[in-house]
Amino acid sequence: MEGLSENKLVWRNKWGVDILKLEIGRIYIKDIQLGNETTVKNGILTVDKEGLITKLKEDERIKDVKIDVARPGEKVRIIPVKDVIEPRVKVSGGVNGFPGVTAKQAQCGDGVTHVLYGAAVVTVGDIVGFQEGVIDMWGEGARWTPFSKTFNLTVDINVVEGLTPHVHEETVRVAGLRAAEFVGTAGKDIKPDEVLAYEMGSIFEESAKYPNLPKVIYAEMMITQGLLHDTYIYGVNAQNILPALLHVNEELDGAVVSGNCVAACDKITTYQHQNNSVINDLYAQHGKEINFLGCIMVPEHTTLGGKLRASEYTLKLAKMLGADAVVISEEGYGNPDSDLLMICKKCEKAGIKTVLITDECAGRDGMSQPLADTAQEAVAVVSGGNVSHVVTLPPADKVIGNPEAIAVLAGGWKGALLEDGTLMCELNAVIGSTSEIGFHNVTCRLY
Amino acid sequence: MKKLIITNNPAVKEKFKNVFFIDGSPQDILTKVRDLVHQGHGLISHPLSASLRMMFSPYRTVVLSTKKEQIDFFSAEIIEDSIIKYKNHMNYRKIDNVHSEDYQVIDILLLEAALNEDTGSW
Repeated sequence: MEGLSENKLVWRNKWGVDILKLEIGRIYIKDIQLGNETTVKNGILTVDKEGLITKLKEDERIKDVKIDVARPGEKVRIIPVKDVIEPRVKVSGGVNGFPGVTAKQAQCGDGVTHVLYGAAVVTVGDIVGFQEGVIDMWGEGARWTPFSKTFNLTVDINVVEGLTPHVHEETVRVAGLRAAEFVGTAGKDIKPDEVLAYEMGSIFEESAKYPNLPKVIYAEMMITQGLLHDTYIYGVNAQNILPALLHVNEELDGAVVSGNCVAACDKITTYQHQNNSVINDLYAQHGKEINFLGCIMVPEHTTLGGKLRASEYTLKLAKMLGADAVVISEEGYGNPDSDLLMICKKCEKAGIKTVLITDECAGRDGMSQPLADTAQEAVAVVSGGNVSHVVTLPPADKVIGNPEAIAVLAGGWKGALLEDGTLMCELNAVIGSTSEIGFHNVTCRLY
Repeated sequence: MKKLIITNNPAVKEKFKNVFFIDGSPQDILTKVRDLVHQGHGLISHPLSASLRMMFSPYRTVVLSTKKEQIDFFSAEIIEDSIIKYKNHMNYRKIDNVHSEDYQVIDILLLEAALNEDTGSW
């Protein structure tokens, strides 16, 4: 690190090459109130409700917006959740917002970003009738979702009639991101309570610094299969990409956005991309136990040809970078299980060790064989939890979103919706309950 | 490359050529796909979708290649695993017929995405 260049806020190394250096300043949020201005004072986030509605309705595809707040402990249920986003603001470097989506193209992962830590924007709205995804802010349901602990600003989007499903999805997705951007600006001039620094030189520099540490790369699989099953990197639909190498800072700073709203339990919400636990954990070990090389963003294709291509390309990138080990996280369940094992088998055969993170479907009692696909090479597998585990959710005092969607959760088996309104559903329906990047509440215990 | 689309989705039958329509359940589709794979057809699209919720869909569409001389063992392994996985889930859950219209639409959109994705003729 040689210091700041004269005219722009970029750190340069001794060869004059830019280094991505990210500072995330967390401003602790203790409550959200609706009001007439958007500010943070003493940890209280006030949101200009009408201003936000006006802002979102600039998009003429939006007919109606309902804004509400759900706080930890309140007997409130949010359903059906489309996405969860952390409100942030760019203080220096890059541009504010999500480059390629809500803002012009810019480099993510560089400069200073302020985070309204403890707050979340939750987008709500039916795109299809079978959409699930519930957040309970209290009781049994709250135990299973990480978003029962955040102060949630809910943004319920009603679109004008006649939109195609694709346009409807895009409208709701972008509205959530714009809402997070709007709210995040409140943190611009506030002194953070905590500052996290993320700094990584080039792969060659880091490898020279830590010649004896094993080189580890993270392969993050993303659902990229069409409507309601998409992920975007810098606004590019990842369905159309070859596996792409990202600097470890980029995803933590808004480069990756979720466009996926069917796999409630194991989809990676935008919030979880912004706070990817695998990246954070590997970062924490960088220079100590491992040399963390970077992230390979791996699209999960529908076709076998696509799966073969993506898995081979991932292996090739890992080899080119000299990786000794790959941590692979899955998104979703079903056909992506094949991709996970393809990458695992190919890497292990090439002498690159693998750790797999997935979730399992082990039946109501957890005793069934959890994974249909097996491979002898998959020797280190971390489970994010059993998606079939049944939870009992008592009736809420208040439902934000569409109360009829509750029946969708219960659908499919008798006795699930009891007379008093108590609901029995599988973890499958609970947002973030079996996260395959470890951003959740479930853990494993050895008996 | 010629493709064969196996489906129980009437909207797919309406819109595409080379469709083998089965008036039956998703399980019937998977069974038929298995039989065709054993006869030498290869899988172009994976028989399962990417989320659990779609597992409860009343509709399933799978794209196969035209018949080859030899059985593609990779395809055979995948369809066998998919049938096991599908049965595992449907032991507990029923098909969600209430939203069948929406499932029909998403099924066709995901099929179109798969067909766009498959550019080669390997």
